[in-house]
Amino acid sequence: MSAIEIQDLKKSFRIYSDRGSGLKDRVLSPKRRRYEQRTVLDGVTLTVKQGEAVGLIGKNGCGKSTLLKLISRILYPDAGSVTCSGRVSSLIELGAGFHPDMTGRENIYTNASIFGLTRREIEARMDEIIAFSELEPYLDEPVRTYSSGMYMRLAFSVAIHVSADILLIDEILAVGDAAFQAKCFDRLMEIKAAGTTVVIVSHSLAQLERICDRTVWLDGGRIRAEGAPNEVHPEYMAFMGQQRKPAAAPAQTAAEEKTESPVHFTEIYLENGAGERIDRLCTGEAAELVLRYEAEPEAAEPVLVGLALYRADNVLCYGTNTEREHLPYLKPAASGELRCKFTAVNLIAGRYWFDAALRRRDMFAYDYAAKAVQFTVYNTIDETGVARICHTWEGLQ
Amino acid sequence: MRRLRELYQYRTMIASFVRKDLKGRYQGSVLGFLWTFLNPLLQLLVYTLVFSVILKSAVPHYYLHLFVALVPWMYFASALTTGAKLILDQKNMIRKIYFPRSVLPLAYTVSSLCSMLFSFVIVFAVIAVMHLGINFAALPWLVPVIAVQFILVLGMNLLTSALTVYLRDLEHIMGVLSMAWMYLSPVVYGMEFIPAQWRRVYLLNPMSPLILAYRDILYYQKAPDGKHLLLAAGMSILVLCIGTAVFEKLQKRFAEVL
Repeated sequence: MSAIEIQDLKKSFRIYSDRGSGLKDRVLSPKRRRYEQRTVLDGVTLTVKQGEAVGLIGKNGCGKSTLLKLISRILYPDAGSVTCSGRVSSLIELGAGFHPDMTGRENIYTNASIFGLTRREIEARMDEIIAFSELEPYLDEPVRTYSSGMYMRLAFSVAIHVSADILLIDEILAVGDAAFQAKCFDRLMEIKAAGTTVVIVSHSLAQLERICDRTVWLDGGRIRAEGAPNEVHPEYMAFMGQQRKPAAAPAQTAAEEKTESPVHFTEIYLENGAGERIDRLCTGEAAELVLRYEAEPEAAEPVLVGLALYRADNVLCYGTNTEREHLPYLKPAASGELRCKFTAVNLIAGRYWFDAALRRRDMFAYDYAAKAVQFTVYNTIDETGVARICHTWEGLQ
Repeated sequence: MRRLRELYQYRTMIASFVRKDLKGRYQGSVLGFLWTFLNPLLQLLVYTLVFSVILKSAVPHYYLHLFVALVPWMYFASALTTGAKLILDQKNMIRKIYFPRSVLPLAYTVSSLCSMLFSFVIVFAVIAVMHLGINFAALPWLVPVIAVQFILVLGMNLLTSALTVYLRDLEHIMGVLSMAWMYLSPVVYGMEFIPAQWRRVYLLNPMSPLILAYRDILYYQKAPDGKHLLLAAGMSILVLCIGTAVFEKLQKRFAEVL
């Protein structure tokens, strides 16, 4: 059964060059009201099944948020249709209708009523909302005395307890501190497990991979690709990578300058235990990072070597340098090879890259190679988190 | 029909907006909610002073003659002035969250109705204190009269709040319009001032028969003219239909225009 049916949806906005909605402008210059018709959605057809979680991705201005607003009925389509079955709740704007002079409790009430809850429904959820927000001691104080974090926590707690059939979320899982974020995320997973249909807009692909059954990639107001997140995301990343190329041009000039620096990398790659170059490895396998450099030994001061391991969604998984590890500084020869041997790469499945740096003692970087090596880690276990903590189980039989 | 069911679903929102509006109006003031009663009382005192001492009117108890008309007039005028800004004032909410937009004019119509009813408490208190007498047989007529006015004000609120979104000047035009409209309604004077041949036209202003009805019940202590009341009801329902149609049409682009 489908929860959301979107048929050939089109939406464009009028962008007025001379925005005047006053009487004078209408009377004096009825024809001069020039505007540009900007098409934001250009024929989107999409069906979301009941209980399905769909992620919307795409670069800024591709129509993700507009699509979400059309589903939530904030906007009306120019053509096509959106049909939703069940109560729709949107976590697009948090804290709608909050009044700074009213207490937290009163605001919960008003805010929940804007989501269409009745008095009885609000009262049934009140305790849960309060418990979730962790704001019980402040609840009878006016909201203007709250910090912005507390404010958002209260707002999120209300929104997440609406118990809608369809939940629309726009980039808002960044509420409060890390602990509260984790809690929100867990709650979202619970809601999803309870059979709520979820449509979520996010720039965090990792987040989407964890929540969504399907990713829809919007580009230029149309669906460019849709499918399982792990199929669509690499394609999307590759596309975004290409898009960024022009912007990466200055980095090249930086590379030219590098040749003038007394030490610089010439080649960086990953090897497996057998000495073969690789760009894929299985969780737990051994690997060696090979760093080749050239230097002018007279000019170069002793250097330290730094490494940073990032996941594709920009999460820093691990960082270290030889100074921190209390190792001796490298006195560069005219050319040389460094090896960093990893006995077991215990990363969970995903895409990663290494940044490598050669720095003077005062941390001035002689060379910084961003995304020097990119690689994929795979395995058959669907773990979550960053790294696998080695473990064994007992007592299962 | 679907709209009505949806509005019913959002009844708690309507109630909480009414409460917020009534509470918020005098928030921060020392006397707080007391102002709801104090305001009409002080106004009444001023009118009594002006028309009983300075500008003596031939009409007996002119202040009451005026006040029983002024209270419903202010209810109507609220739809023209504050009502016109309803949607504009909530633009952040409208742009970012869905709810049936007609909740806003509906809630405001109810909260200003409450204000009018509070003012009537003062009217009755004055009638009692001054021993002006009251006709309990005519009193139940207030219910249909208020109901008809509610329909009219709701229709006006829907109309003005939606139109102002597209034509901001309306907000300022409404101030002048409401003043002109007041003098074209029998608020400060009685119907006898209108030449007989113009009365037909004069009654086409839906506020005229309504104010006459209020005055009949509370000042002349008699049942209102049934024909006038039917006329007012007919026009009010027409205004509500126009208001609903216009609002329904215009609300689709609220989130974009705001």
